Amino acid sequence: MGQVSLSEVKSTSYERSEVKKGYTDKSLHINVGSNDIRIHSIEEKIKEKFIGGKGYDLWLLWNSVKGTTKWNDPENAICISSGPLGGTPGYPGGGKSIVTTISPLTCAPIDSNVGGYFGPYKKFSGFDVIEINGKAKEDIVILIDGIEQEIKIFEAKDLPKDSYELSNELTTYFDEKKPVNVSVVTSGPGAEHTNFGCLNFTWFDAGRKIVRYKQAGRGGVGTVFADKKIKAVVARYGAVSMKSNNPADLDGLKVVTKSHAKEINELDPKQNRMALVGTTHLVPIMNDHDCLPVNNFKFGSHPGGKLIGEEVYEHIFDKGFDGCWRGCTVACAHGVKDFTPMTGPYKGKKVFVDGPEYETVAGCGSNLGIFDAYTILELNFYCDAYGVDTISVGTSIAFIMECFENKIITIEHTGGLDLSFGNRKNALELVHQMAEGNGFGVIVGKGIRQMKDFFAKEYGADRAFLQDIGMESKGLEFSEYMTKESLAQQGGYGLSLKGAQHDEAWLIFLDMVHNFMPTFENKAEALHWFPMFRTWFSLCGLCKLPWNDIVPEDNKNTSEPAKVEKHINWYAQFFSTVTGRKVSPEDLIPMSEAVYNFQRIFNLKMGLGTREHDTLPYRSMGPVTIEEYESRASRYDTQLKEKYTIDISNMETKDKVALLRQKREEQYELLKDAVYKRRGWTQKGIPTVETVKRLGIDFPEVLEVLKQNNVV
Amino acid sequence: MIKVDEKNIAWSSDMTIATLLEQMEDVEFCSVIRLNGKLVSSPKFKEVKIPDNSNIQLLPLVAGG
Ligand code: SF4
Repeated sequence: MGQVSLSEVKSTSYERSEVKKGYTDKSLHINVGSNDIRIHSIEEKIKEKFIGGKGYDLWLLWNSVKGTTKWNDPENAICISSGPLGGTPGYPGGGKSIVTTISPLTCAPIDSNVGGYFGPYKKFSGFDVIEINGKAKEDIVILIDGIEQEIKIFEAKDLPKDSYELSNELTTYFDEKKPVNVSVVTSGPGAEHTNFGCLNFTWFDAGRKIVRYKQAGRGGVGTVFADKKIKAVVARYGAVSMKSNNPADLDGLKVVTKSHAKEINELDPKQNRMALVGTTHLVPIMNDHDCLPVNNFKFGSHPGGKLIGEEVYEHIFDKGFDGCWRGCTVACAHGVKDFTPMTGPYKGKKVFVDGPEYETVAGCGSNLGIFDAYTILELNFYCDAYGVDTISVGTSIAFIMECFENKIITIEHTGGLDLSFGNRKNALELVHQMAEGNGFGVIVGKGIRQMKDFFAKEYGADRAFLQDIGMESKGLEFSEYMTKESLAQQGGYGLSLKGAQHDEAWLIFLDMVHNFMPTFENKAEALHWFPMFRTWFSLCGLCKLPWNDIVPEDNKNTSEPAKVEKHINWYAQFFSTVTGRKVSPEDLIPMSEAVYNFQRIFNLKMGLGTREHDTLPYRSMGPVTIEEYESRASRYDTQLKEKYTIDISNMETKDKVALLRQKREEQYELLKDAVYKRRGWTQKGIPTVETVKRLGIDFPEVLEVLKQNNVV
Repeated sequence: MIKVDEKNIAWSSDMTIATLLEQMEDVEFCSVIRLNGKLVSSPKFKEVKIPDNSNIQLLPLVAGG
């Protein structure tokens, strides 16, 4: 403690805008290169079209960057928003922040939806959204103090390097008496040396009296933050209540909040028990359905799966309330108290680990052939403390391990590290190297897309094989689901705007297990509405989990159980009662569609966003190797015989692999056709002029981008 | 006797989750259950035998993630 040394270089007083119906109607712009601080009003037409949250982020980012802007150019902005509904205590998932920037991994806009109190505190301090661009010369800390109504920029020296300690120190520094008033956004040394740096967003856990954090993990937002030499952004605000958003209909808001919260309280214990086990219940479920990635997505299950799921973590997680937003009754943000790492700078010291969630268990566990709950905890702890994304770390190391086992890389390349699947010690060593910026960890930290190029060029590796097994799409490493048997989920990854992340469309169960979408048209329909609902949560500042992770008992008897209509109804009421803008459940999809299409055109502006960028590595569609085919031979043989009516009696496995590949790749292309048509896009994957006009996003600059791409 | 979602159902010695669900109505979305607190998913329904006095919860569709 006591290491913090901050010297103020800029201070601006402001008058805090009153929040009206969920909005402050103000944006804050900070250029960390010039220390310029400006406050702008948000125009009514932007509010109407972009709603808030990710919509505001994208609009500011669009105006900050050119088509040629690189992630590390000063004009690239980090935008952090809440949304009109964000900051509603007691509404399940009612307090998220959304971070958006041009990603070092994808070179396109990336958005990440994250817990912690920063988004609401920033809004109640007077700003719906903040935009930070420029590049500082020295390390800086930014303070948005809604209590004192001041914005300050400090030069920072001798701060703790890692996010774990830094978050603690800054919380105490900025409000020792009332640490609950502070939320800190930090990254760590791993973000400086890799392309997949994450951001940690804190809240003060008043029950345990410790600082906790959640991660804006995907796409290297922390890398951009570190490149700008920002050590932390801090928001400080006082008491929050249901009145803080100054809702249009406070009584109505109380009723809908109580209804949703009460239902979760009653049903979660009978369903997924997320208040006890978080998302680790998914581990045994995915394992049993052959969807848990094992050894770089080669296989979908492993007997060791039972050692890393809810049965184990339920007993390891510290008991207590674990909402990453105030009063969230899902309360799934669990952690482990008094964990003692075996390696690294915290070796032998007791720490609190925030997590793991399903993605971390699968990414840093089964996908690496590691079935030890405590090694996963240690990887989780260091990834967060170093500010690197557990998903990209896991998927990248899985790729490396398969390359190692195929002798594409050897101990000559790895600096002596045996990187066979299951090597726990060396997986941890790579993470430490990422933080220190040395050894083979530096190469792994570049991400899979760059590693593929590097191995092909420098080591003469077979580029086609690397393409097949390197699990990234659009440059973003896959999150942790095995999609070989779900064409809709392949679309969920390949046709998502930002790359291979499941938050846009998680259809694997609805498709593969519940068989809700047997035809291309059914799948295309789901790949339309599912991303729109998920987009809506990020426009409004909400968490996606309470929508469909816990469902009403009579949900199965409704006309469209997959949509969880009762909850959609509640969300429409939630929006209406806060903003005073009366919406029905049917209005939510069109609200999202405008922003969704705008983001697709933003990709186009950055030279991406067309059909050829919606590609997938073949490993996500089917068996790449003979070993994989033979491990599920009866499934694949049956498909070739029955679905494609092919006589395979005299075929060798390698020929069956090739034939199945041809069929599955054809299916994926047909899916693209159907999805583009449903979304109102050309067969090149570009929104048509008619679509952008229908959605009211036919701004001159949008039409100009379409025109440059021959869409008129 | 076993309990399924708090209702009593007669038990038989060869009862599996699959045979239990066959005799129930309105269970087409059920792909995961809890058997005495442990999760069991549909690929295992035919092989997992139900012990007498078991407590079973049928989980609704898995749509999150
Ligand atoms: S559902 Fe879980 S992740 Fe979402 S806000 Fe609540 S505690 Fe946080």
